[in-house]
Amino acid sequence: MKSYLFVLLSFFMVLPQWANASYVDLQSGSLMGMVHASYGDSFFDNHHLSAGMGYVPKLDNHAEMTLFSLRYRYQNPYRFDFNVKGHDFQFSPVNFGTSLLYGNHSDLFLELPDQYPKGYYKPTALRIIFNYQSILHISDKTEVYFDISILDVGLITYVREPEFFMDNYDYLGLEGITNWGFGLRRHF
Amino acid sequence: MKKLIFLFFVITLAGCEYELSPWETDAHCPGVSVEENLARLTAFEAANGKPDSYRVAIIGDPQQYPGAFEDTIKHINTLENVHFTLLVGDLAETGIKAEFEWMCKAMSKSNIPIIPVIGNHDSISFGKDIWLDVFGPYDFSFTYFNTRFVAYNDNQYEFGKAPDREWLTEQAQKPAEDGQPIEHIVGVSHVPPWDDNEGFDAHMKDAGYELTIHGHESSFDYWEREDVGLPHYITTQNRDPGFGMLTVYAGADMPLQVDNCTRDCLITTSRVVAIPSPQ
Repeated sequence: MKSYLFVLLSFFMVLPQWANASYVDLQSGSLMGMVHASYGDSFFDNHHLSAGMGYVPKLDNHAEMTLFSLRYRYQNPYRFDFNVKGHDFQFSPVNFGTSLLYGNHSDLFLELPDQYPKGYYKPTALRIIFNYQSILHISDKTEVYFDISILDVGLITYVREPEFFMDNYDYLGLEGITNWGFGLRRHF
Repeated sequence: MKKLIFLFFVITLAGCEYELSPWETDAHCPGVSVEENLARLTAFEAANGKPDSYRVAIIGDPQQYPGAFEDTIKHINTLENVHFTLLVGDLAETGIKAEFEWMCKAMSKSNIPIIPVIGNHDSISFGKDIWLDVFGPYDFSFTYFNTRFVAYNDNQYEFGKAPDREWLTEQAQKPAEDGQPIEHIVGVSHVPPWDDNEGFDAHMKDAGYELTIHGHESSFDYWEREDVGLPHYITTQNRDPGFGMLTVYAGADMPLQVDNCTRDCLITTSRVVAIPSPQ
């Protein structure tokens, strides 16, 4: 937790020197929590870095948990314009990113607990998430997006055994490894 | 274009799940619980007369390779006289819902009951909760024709004091519900007996166990402590590919037999479990 806060603080201290546009991001689902708030900056126009914190309340299918993330997104410059009832929109269909997600809970660990021999397990609290976003630009500063994510182990297993997923799940087997969420981003 | 975009979103939403985090616990796994599979086994037993022999497939450590697991299950479907499968743990690698769901999908292809025991990898993250919800108890026993199978949780790092020796004795010594004689007692767990679990083998032997079956290791093995003489059979990790096969014959004077099988079960190393001497 302390090390995460240190990384987060360093991130915010260093970023503004070479960033060119800041934003806040609110997301729900897609493995990032019931709600996940991030602050980020854009670099070289198409590259975005953010750090955030999410939360899942205690539910029947989930322990109460705080989540922390570091995220990178490549936003493809291709956009197309359209107009609905006199309001101009832009749609950016293909954008990709990756996140480092940390789940803060006593049943998860970064460092192996004492009862285990060295190297017995890899950290269970840290996961890598790969994601795809379609972004609808409502105005110059505001955008909403639809997010599809794949967990590290999902990507690895799919690459290893694509036939299993294609045989058992729809949409080229991607149904078996994908999750969805949505969010809103506001630029400053 | 708008129609295309709309269609894309509809297809995408239909094909994905809204998941709050990787650590959700409500795995979708219909029909794989111990209770349901034991009910299937009981029905099969009732519908068929007493066999001269039957076989039990033993699959271990299929984690990270659901496709190989499914292939093994489909292959076992084609083998004769295999009445059920013992799945000796580690369905998941990191104990998360998605891993269990992939394995459940593979298990749904089995024509015969699959009886699972929990592995150490199944127990990390929130895997313990998922296991209880999907499969049921960590410890249980059942009798199939002439043999008592006692499945027990011996994941010591994850559960502390497991396994419970008193419970293991009770399960071995309780009479069969139908009053039929029990000719063999077989222990089933994920981890082979721990080196630091002093006196465990002798305790199991004294309780009447004739053989114990395990996974956890990455290769086939068969061993016993010379001073005790209780054999332990360990199946390989499934992706090798490989699985074990236990053959049970009718009659207390007939020995149990275990074989190492490649996926096609062409190469086997038979082990005949010595008949225990009378106590």
